[in-house]
Amino acid sequence: MSDLAELAQKISALVAKDTVFEAGARVISTGGAPNPISAILNEIDDTILERDLEIRADDAVVNLIVSGRRLRGIASASSGADSVLGQVLSREEPEIVAAVFTILSELCGQAQRLTVRYLPPQPFGKGGERGISAKGLAELWQVDLDETPKPPMERFLDANRAAAVAVLHTLDGEIQSSAGDVAALQSILDTQLAEFRALQTHGSGAQLICLEGAFSDGTAAALAIHNDDVAVIAYQPEHLGALHASWRAILG
Amino acid sequence: MVVDELDALRDANQGCEMLAFADLSTQMILVTDTAANAPRETLDRLCNEAMMMLGAGRKVVLGEEPSTAALVANSKGVRVFLRAADEPNDVLCCVCAPELDVEAFVADARERLNRISSGA
Repeated sequence: MSDLAELAQKISALVAKDTVFEAGARVISTGGAPNPISAILNEIDDTILERDLEIRADDAVVNLIVSGRRLRGIASASSGADSVLGQVLSREEPEIVAAVFTILSELCGQAQRLTVRYLPPQPFGKGGERGISAKGLAELWQVDLDETPKPPMERFLDANRAAAVAVLHTLDGEIQSSAGDVAALQSILDTQLAEFRALQTHGSGAQLICLEGAFSDGTAAALAIHNDDVAVIAYQPEHLGALHASWRAILG
Repeated sequence: MVVDELDALRDANQGCEMLAFADLSTQMILVTDTAANAPRETLDRLCNEAMMMLGAGRKVVLGEEPSTAALVANSKGVRVFLRAADEPNDVLCCVCAPELDVEAFVADARERLNRISSGA
């Protein structure tokens, strides 16, 4: 790809309609998609001028000094980065490169929500120390920068696989996947869903509906709706909080 | 008093915006928290939604049994409906922000609803 085409692609990505901002920070990963480390490397790859990238991963914060599409190093972090703070990355010091990967993985790897804020650069290392390119880091860390994330509903169902007793997922009315004993779930889709949606007066769009004790065996029912995706889930009621948290992170 | 429990529940849970205690047998909101200033139509709609979600009069809209608790979430917020343990017609209707900590809130709300319902 030519430099101009790549630049056009990056500008297009920045103005994409689905770009989400929170308090001035741009959301770059939700519910683990794209993979948080891939998301960070893609931000580095998009950064030409020297900047301090403040990455917020749920409750953790890490500040990366980036320039010329290269990560120069970690300027600060909310925890666990003392051994590498202020050190410029170099292929000649692989232990530091590996330590930075470990720190980013620990701080950000499991984050449900990752945001980035571009701040003015702060003094960091020596002028001639350039760091390592995003693509170089992807190669060293074995991270796929072009990973295609799964559709949101699939990610939501994957995230709640352990809580689910049975799952039935349809797209445009066609069954996409099922797990467990889905007879009761199929009955909801066949006999109740249309009337239920007709009765709803509180708006439309993506929704999660959870009903405790909805099945005769005491399990709860959840109905997740996102565009043309509909999933019905039978789940153990103690997972309500986790179900809602993942729905909000991925579909909400 | 009921209103004190509702106010305490709202104050103790970030993201909790409005609370209403309803009686499903009469299909009426009986008490709201003191900060609630929603018009009657909004409260009626909330009560209707509680009846639909929890399954009033054994009418079940989703599933096989009337529910003891229901949650409806969308990008704008979360509504939680809880049924008292000993008096199934006593219901708490909760309007909350999207970022509500659902697990903590439901545990707190359930405990307070049962106190309200039992008159403790």
